[in-house]
Amino acid sequence: MVDPRMPTDPIEPPYAGYSLPAMVLAEIWHHLWPWCHGGFQRKRALVAAEVAVALAVTLIWVLAALGRLDAAAIIGWWFGWSVFEVMIRMQSKPYVKEGPWWGRQYRKASLMDMISYVSFKNLLIGAALFLALKSMGLLVL
Amino acid sequence: MKRILTLLRAVLAATTLVLVAPLAMAAAYEAPLPAEIGTAPDLCAMVACHEVMPGADSFSERMGRPAYVEAYRDGEQGRELIGYVFLSTDIVDIPAYSGKPVVTLIGMDTQGIIVGTRILRHSEPILLLGIPEEELTKFVNQYLGKFVGDKIEIGKSRPDAGYIGLDAITGATVTVIAQNQVMLRSGVAIARQVGILKSDPKPQARFTDVHELRSWEELVREGSVRRLTVRPEQLGLPRANEPYIEMYFGYLNVPAVGKSLLGMSGHERLMSRLEPNEHAIFIIANGVDSFKGSGFVRGGIYDRIQVAQDMDTFTFRDMDYYNLWGLEAEGAPGYRESGIFIIRDPVFSAAYPWSLVYLGNKLDRNTGERSFVSFDQEYWVPAHYLEGGRPTIIKPDPPWVRVWKMRAVEIGLFTAFLLAVATVYANRNRLTRMSNRKNKWPVNAFKYSFWVISVGFVGFYLLAQPSITQVLTWFHALLFQWKWELFLTDPFIFLFWIFIIVTVFVWGRGLFCGWMCPFGSLSELLYKIGGAVGLKRFQFKLSKPWHDRLKWVKYGVFFVLLAVSMFSMGLAEVLSEVEPFKTTFLVGLFSRTWPYTLFAAGLLALSIFIERPFCKYLCPLGAALAMPSTFRWYGLKRKQECDSCKACAVGCGSLAIDKDGRIDQRECLLCLDCMVYYTDTHACPPLAKERKRRLKAGLPLTPIGANGYYIPIHPEPMRPATAGKS
Ligand code: SF4
Ligand code: SF4
Repeated sequence: MVDPRMPTDPIEPPYAGYSLPAMVLAEIWHHLWPWCHGGFQRKRALVAAEVAVALAVTLIWVLAALGRLDAAAIIGWWFGWSVFEVMIRMQSKPYVKEGPWWGRQYRKASLMDMISYVSFKNLLIGAALFLALKSMGLLVL
Repeated sequence: MKRILTLLRAVLAATTLVLVAPLAMAAAYEAPLPAEIGTAPDLCAMVACHEVMPGADSFSERMGRPAYVEAYRDGEQGRELIGYVFLSTDIVDIPAYSGKPVVTLIGMDTQGIIVGTRILRHSEPILLLGIPEEELTKFVNQYLGKFVGDKIEIGKSRPDAGYIGLDAITGATVTVIAQNQVMLRSGVAIARQVGILKSDPKPQARFTDVHELRSWEELVREGSVRRLTVRPEQLGLPRANEPYIEMYFGYLNVPAVGKSLLGMSGHERLMSRLEPNEHAIFIIANGVDSFKGSGFVRGGIYDRIQVAQDMDTFTFRDMDYYNLWGLEAEGAPGYRESGIFIIRDPVFSAAYPWSLVYLGNKLDRNTGERSFVSFDQEYWVPAHYLEGGRPTIIKPDPPWVRVWKMRAVEIGLFTAFLLAVATVYANRNRLTRMSNRKNKWPVNAFKYSFWVISVGFVGFYLLAQPSITQVLTWFHALLFQWKWELFLTDPFIFLFWIFIIVTVFVWGRGLFCGWMCPFGSLSELLYKIGGAVGLKRFQFKLSKPWHDRLKWVKYGVFFVLLAVSMFSMGLAEVLSEVEPFKTTFLVGLFSRTWPYTLFAAGLLALSIFIERPFCKYLCPLGAALAMPSTFRWYGLKRKQECDSCKACAVGCGSLAIDKDGRIDQRECLLCLDCMVYYTDTHACPPLAKERKRRLKAGLPLTPIGANGYYIPIHPEPMRPATAGKS
């Protein structure tokens, strides 16, 4: 039976029952790391490829931090990575939070939920990194 | 098939034409200018100086600092000076709405009367498409015949205060306020330089007899020595560890400061060389550039530094320069270059703040164009060195403050409106409980009033229709250059966006879209009016499967706009004409070329028959707000039984309820119809059933609880785990 009180079916992430500090840490980790534990065993080759892309993106940010890349390249990569991250998360962590951000309700993510989540999260992360690089004078626009 | 293809091609071609046509009309929009326009000596060989100086036969080369050219007429007694022509960007760098300056060529006669103006280039998006470019030309033509020393402001004339008012361009307030500053400041700068305008000398500073010597660090700490740093990236050059130039400077006439820096005898010697009302400042510098300038020729002007006080600028010639042999203050840093400069103008007063200005050339890395930029650092002699302390000065308000003051009443009303909508919505449960399926007036009275206010007051009167272009502009500003002033100059849009961002996260985009977006409100009003005047039988909804397909189009539109804006903000502006907002509110349905009018009018006409077709399927702003609405904190309520009951779904004008009774929070416009059903004991089937059961059994009808069910009569055997929440 479908529960219409939630936009999609409820899900319990592995960290659902954690204490508050552990929960905060787990959520930060959730935002930064798109893979789940089980994922590594499932399809090694695929995960390796994904990690390679993730490393490439990290490298892009590092290059940016060294002042070697211009804004367009970073934005392009960040966008590409976001698309990729949506695909990874739909496999490994296919859930999003429901209701207040300080609450503990989670639900299954539809593709659009995931796109909304990843684009919003990466916009914030990207803007923060971008501003940090700029304020340190590492990015010239 | 072939015919369809041909048709498609024709439609595409027509659309392109329609989109590009206004570009052709906006001739000065991002018009290419010669790369050397800011530096070449013969300015008039590059731009049409005679157009702004009627009657001139020849022009001099650039002269003075800031630069201008003299205009001559050949008369009987030979060449006669008839006026001056100058380029605004040689004198001021005041960005307009786009963040870039409006490059204006100005002609002024020898009496200081503006005799010609010409916009050579602007980057104002609104003038590309929304408002015809001639409006800007018309605006600057209002200066013709006016004296540059007049007090001119945007708005009504105030003869009692001596202000001359100029008509603004509706919908481009920021542009005209910036342009007014450009016109006045450049005019005054040149008029002062050529002696048409004289400044009233300010009272000179009188120094206290504080004489204790200070170390370098103390001087810096108390503000007697200040620093001005320019980094290479600020000039469009590759980043480097070393600053482009880093200057320390200070005012030497103050005895304690002068003696600390130059030593007793050094200071005495310097002062003995100065006439009364002459002033000495020192500069030391490090970095790759030289403040003296490599091309500096003896007898010429130091063209990289100047001192500015209010509207006056003071430049230095070689006779104003003395060598600075060394600094005596303990802890003074090493330097590569140094000098003492004398200000000889009686207009300067050390009692008031002044700035050291470094003039640079910024290289645009994309176009290779160089433009003039200035960097300044304020200096004000510390109060304890001034007899009676620092005088009180009234600084003129920055333009955005003036806008806020000028429109204080409307800002108050608008804020009240925003708060009223939020308060009403926060009390939605009370209102929906007062309503029922047949009488929704407790909700609708508020909603309809808000629609009318949104359309009339917010849309047509304040022109405060939020738009996707603002989202794109912020996105860019966030990445490239964030300037609060840019956003603050439109107070209504600014406040509206704060409200939108907050409410999207609290309740979802529905509060803005469903209750107060001017265009959205207008379309739904039309739909309601259409129904009321007997067109109901022609009104229809798309089938749910078609709706579920087409609703994605708006997200596509949004992502295309976002992607295009990364490459060209101008093109994104053109494409964002998919929003009929400019046509409807900013410019007016009947003031635009027919394709725009047709598009906007067509959408509005369609809205009579389909509820909000634009909002559902096309609006990129709606899409941009829908995505974060996924994470709204407080959604609407549902019951378990909603999974099989279709009552709400059938009534949902936004088609936001799916076959399982779930609400799509991205599509829901918070009309609250389903929330009326939720507590309506006659309309909501589970409630109706329970009501009938109780009536039959002679049981009392308790109120409906927060979970949407009758409050149980006994502690609770009836319905355990059904606390309703979506
Ligand atoms: S979808 Fe667009 S036009 Fe419709 S209400 Fe929302 S912002 Fe306004
Ligand atoms: S009926 Fe309910 S779900 Fe549909 S738009 Fe109105 S409030 Fe949203």
